[in-house]
Parts: sequence; C-alpha cells; structure tokens
Amino acid sequence: MMKLKAYKNELIVGFAFLLLVMAFAYKQIQVSHQHNASSTAATTLEELKNLIALKKIWGDKKITQKVERLKSIVSPSKAKWHRKGKKLTASFQGLNAQEFNRVMIKIMNLPVEIQKLEASNAGVLYQVEFKCKW
Amino acid sequence: MENTKELLLIHTSMKRVSHAYPDGVNIMLTPQFYTMKREEIPVKYTYQAKRIAPSLFDGMLENTQGYQYFVFKEKVSWVFIAYHPEEIKSFLKQKGMLPEQVSKIYFAQQIAEAFTHPVLLGERDALVNLDGTITVVPQAALNSDEKPMKITQQLTPKKGIAFEGRGKSILSTKESYLLAAILVLFAAVYFIEGSRYGGDSAAIEAQMQALLENYPSLESSYTRKSIASKYQAIDTKERKKRDVIKALSHMIFKGSKLHSLSVDDTKFKARFSCANASVTQRLQELAKKEKFHANRISKSNDLQIEGRL
Repeated sequence: MMKLKAYKNELIVGFAFLLLVMAFAYKQIQVSHQHNASSTAATTLEELKNLIALKKIWGDKKITQKVERLKSIVSPSKAKWHRKGKKLTASFQGLNAQEFNRVMIKIMNLPVEIQKLEASNAGVLYQVEFKCKW
Repeated sequence: MENTKELLLIHTSMKRVSHAYPDGVNIMLTPQFYTMKREEIPVKYTYQAKRIAPSLFDGMLENTQGYQYFVFKEKVSWVFIAYHPEEIKSFLKQKGMLPEQVSKIYFAQQIAEAFTHPVLLGERDALVNLDGTITVVPQAALNSDEKPMKITQQLTPKKGIAFEGRGKSILSTKESYLLAAILVLFAAVYFIEGSRYGGDSAAIEAQMQALLENYPSLESSYTRKSIASKYQAIDTKERKKRDVIKALSHMIFKGSKLHSLSVDDTKFKARFSCANASVTQRLQELAKKEKFHANRISKSNDLQIEGRL
C-alpha cells in the first residue's frame, strides 16, 4: 500500500493512459462494427434491389398480355397461335424480311422462357416456330 | 471523514522512529520546520493568498529556492507558512522515516487554539501558544505547576498537505495532473467519436425498409433465397439465349444471309448462306470471336454455326 502511494502520480497518469487505450479500442471496435454493418446492409440492399428487378421482369403479371401482342404484329393469316395458360406454341409463315425482324425483336424482348425457336428462310420469305412458357 | 491515522509530532529532539507505519502516518511539524507570518490582506480566497505568499517571505528566508507555502485563514487574518519539503524529508530520513510513509503533513499553528497547555519536546524544549502563535520555548521558562498536554490523533486538523511525489515519483503532482488531463481529454474525444459511429448506415437501412414495405413478401430471407434461386436461373439462361441470337444477328450482312436458326434450352444451331469464300472466311472469324463452333458445309460457301447454352 505504501509503495503504491509512493507512485501515486505515476498511477494517476497510468490510469488516464489506460482510459485512453480503452477509449481508442472502443472507437476502433465501433468503426469496425460500423464498417461491417454498412457493408452487410449495402450487400443486402443490393441483393434486394436485384431480386426486385428479377421479380419485376420474370414475375410480371402482365406477361400474358405482352405475349398476346405478338400475335397482332403480323397479319392473322400468317400466324398460327396456340396458348394454353402460360404456355404458347406459335408459328409464323410467309414473313417478309421486315416482318421477320419485327417478330424476332418482339420475341427477344418478351420476358418468357424460350423452349424452342426455329427460323428458316426460303427465298425471300421466312418461317418462324416459337414455343415458350412464363 | 474522520482521520484514522496516527498523528506524529515532528521536532528536532525527537527520538528515532522505530514503528513501520504500514498504513502511513500523519505528521505535525513544529515551528522548527517552518516560518510563519500572519497578515491581514484583502483577499477572499486561499489560492489568491497563496499566490502572494512568496513575496511576503522576501528577506525572511535565506534562500527562497525549494520553499513551498501553506496558507490558511485565522479569523480575520491569513496565516502564511513557508516550509522546505526537502529539508523535512531529509530530517525524517535521519529519524528512520521514509517520506512515502507520510500521508499528510500538518503544522502546529493550525491547532493553535488547542494548545491550552504546553507540549513537551524532548527534555529541554516545549511548544506553547504565545498570543496565538505556536512557539518553541525552553522548558525552563514554563511554570513548574503547569501540566503538559500531548498531541493526539483527535487534534488532527481538517486541511493538510502531502509531499509531492512522496520522494520516489519521477513526476510532480502538477505534471501528472496535467498529463492525466490531456490523456483523459483524448480519451473523451475517442469515446465521443466512437459513439457517433453507428448512424452512417441509417440511410441504407431506411432505403431497405422502404423497399421491404413495398415488397413485404421479401422480408423473409428464406423467401428471398427461394425467389432468387428461381428467377436467377431463368434470368441467366434466357439472357444467354438472347445474347446468342443477338450475336448471330450481327453476322447477317451483305453477302451473308441467315438460312436457318434453331434455339432450344440446351443448344443453338444456325446456318448462313454466304455469297463467296471471303464472306465465309469473315463469318468464320466472327464466330470464332464469339467462341462458337463454325463448320463449312462441303461443296458450298455456307457455314453452320453451333454451340451449347
């Protein structure tokens, strides 16, 4: 006890230094926690945004309407259409180059799972067979 | 709080101290170890009086170097006491006491009113109260019928001083307090800084909360995983199909015409009619660039391009 008292001044400084070290450690831990929390939150947010975007594209409730519009871009005589629920089998015949391009672009932009897409050219006319589901 | 430590009167004729005092001891100094001055000065606080103390002893002390001052108020006047810690320490060592054993130092003048009788200092001297000032006088000057009193623990004054650093310390009290204050200040800054972290992710949290409010079904991580696994696979596969068709469409140019195309879930195949060998060659290069397999159809310039999805 006497020895401790003899070094009272050093003990005061030592205690203050200890406090400083603890405060510094506290700050570092907080910074680290903050970094981890921010990083996790940012990743989760990114995942969430990505998921919402995917759901918007592939889970869109208006896909059927969008698919139906494919029928109307060529004259009805050139299209054979068979849709059952969320499955479609369609064939387009006697398409000129312009119509062929229009059909292909439309198919490409439809948010559907392409099961089969066949196109063939005979002279100047094209034929397309398309099978998809959503 | 009552002082429980023994109060030891320090005087020049005292005997060598044999007690160890493991818990420390308080000492009371006789005027043999200090110089006293009583002044009526117009100051209100002790710290103000202490500030002018050195100037009051000018000419009284042989060398003011090393002196320290203790000031207290006595009715209307201030009592200034000059003492030399090193001399006191040296004396204590001679008497077998270590400075670090000393808890508090008091001056006999502080309890002047308690001196109703003389206090004997060894065999020759005595400590008496002469007109309010504690003075060392020869015992021969005392009345023979006067009974001496003893300094006891109960007479311990309220206010005392301590040796700076108690002898072995490498830092003075002032230095240590200053250093400690600086360190504590930095510690406080770190604590405040540390406690402020935590609010930065609030914006991300708010954004996430807003999204979850619009899509409550995504609040569950299991649902999120299930939706992700379902749509991610479709997205990857369908994007690949469309990328392939887009790449094949870039192979249609003057002299190159799509003859047939077939895409299903696992593979694709396209046949291009080429006007001449150079077009076939160019198409082959383009297919190679896209990492597709290209085979020239025998006896013609046509090219078949295929690959897996």
